[in-house]
Amino acid sequence: MTSQTDFDLSVTMTDDAPPQAGSSDGHAIETTDLDIYYGEFKAVEGVSLRVEPRSITAVIGPSGCGKSTFLRTLNRMHEVIPGARVEGRVKLNGRDLYAADVDPVAVRRRVGMVFQRPNPFPTMSIYQNVLAGHRLNSRRLARSEADEIVEKSLRGAHLWEEVKDRLDRPGSSLSGGQQQRLCIARAIAVEPDVLLMDEPCSALDPISTLAIEQLMFDLKETYTIVIVTHNMQQAARVSDRTAFFNVEGPGRPGRLVEVDETDRIFVNPSKQATQDYITGRFG
Amino acid sequence: MTADANVHFHDEMAALERRILGMAEQAEKMVGMAVNSVIHDDPGLADLVIGMDDEIDRVYLTAHHDWTSLMARGQPLGADLRRMTVLLQLNAIFERMGDQCVNIAKIAKANAGLPRVDRVCAVIREMGDLVREMMRSALGAYVREDVDEARLLPTLDEPVDRLNASMYKEAVAVRADPSILEWATRVLMVSRALERLGDQAVDLGEMTAYLVTGERVEFDESGIMLRDA
Repeated sequence: MTSQTDFDLSVTMTDDAPPQAGSSDGHAIETTDLDIYYGEFKAVEGVSLRVEPRSITAVIGPSGCGKSTFLRTLNRMHEVIPGARVEGRVKLNGRDLYAADVDPVAVRRRVGMVFQRPNPFPTMSIYQNVLAGHRLNSRRLARSEADEIVEKSLRGAHLWEEVKDRLDRPGSSLSGGQQQRLCIARAIAVEPDVLLMDEPCSALDPISTLAIEQLMFDLKETYTIVIVTHNMQQAARVSDRTAFFNVEGPGRPGRLVEVDETDRIFVNPSKQATQDYITGRFG
Repeated sequence: MTADANVHFHDEMAALERRILGMAEQAEKMVGMAVNSVIHDDPGLADLVIGMDDEIDRVYLTAHHDWTSLMARGQPLGADLRRMTVLLQLNAIFERMGDQCVNIAKIAKANAGLPRVDRVCAVIREMGDLVREMMRSALGAYVREDVDEARLLPTLDEPVDRLNASMYKEAVAVRADPSILEWATRVLMVSRALERLGDQAVDLGEMTAYLVTGERVEFDESGIMLRDA
């Protein structure tokens, strides 16, 4: 068994460990022959995918193709479902996320997640919401340090100017778009390497959606982003690379059909299945 | 059986394409009429050509409007995006083809009643026939999405270019007779217009190659595709 010192995610805390630029071979995330199960049901099969550091990768595909399931394996959220498991390999910065000695909680600190519906802690203030990740990690912060993290995170999420005078108000008092940016602020407050976004704009109006998309452009200067979206125009607007997942029918596992530069996928994809999906033809 | 979840967009795109290709069919007829108006000294036929171009211009403007609307509403991707991109360019190419026919018709009117040279008229007739064949071939290749057929267009264009070059020698040969020189000098512009029409047919072939392969190409003289032109 590998010693904890070889792969001690639990001590690579934010204030002394800047985000890493990727593994020695240049990939922030790398999955190899990844199979994902719910009990005996294989939901996703054989996904080998590399994600470049400080880039945005969009994952698109029809409902039931396993794209959100795949996303949740990248920070070990999948396994919180009883009976759920993975086979194959997921590496973060060259290290196996599913190695026996790896603490899933530490993984989720390095790989943050933003969900479809904004989910600020309703009883917490805006200020406390931003620091929630630190609290969960049982970090004790000096007031000045906490203030600095809150301002930096809210600025990073393009929210500071809108909330700086009401940081003690509940997070739930914000609009939907502001709540989603608050959740992004909460995610980046612990300075992860990777941000996973599972349809982060599907519950937002077009202006709030654009605000999130503009934010993503800034965030990718620092973070590696993987976004699942049903909105192909959004994938085309924001991502550097796009991965298309498909499923051949009910009860069949989803598969990665094609991954390529985004403009290639949306102008001249290599696979007919991708062409059919992005032009709305199925057969 | 293929299900089409985007059937309204595809129907509208197909209708737009039919209208734009209709411009090419109209332009091909106009080439024949315009050439005949020159070599048969028929100003009335030239007026018909000029009138037909008004219809092409009307279709061009409405097609451009509808193209913009369809892009905004449909936000096409993949092969649909490529086809829409091609349609916008074809719309412009066919409108320009109509303009070239008008240029030829206007020269026919300016040359009305002037003495002509049968040998030069024969060259113009041959160029007109070649260009019309190129236009039909380019249109057929596009409709059939046949890249191999499209690649033959530069070969068909070669004699058009050669005949156009020979027209300068013809003009020099008649320089001693001022009345014929005036006619011949204007007919040089007819030759030039036909040469441009041939080039536009080759452009249509290159658009066909892009539509099918997704690669922007230029054809060289032998039809070899120079990628990422």
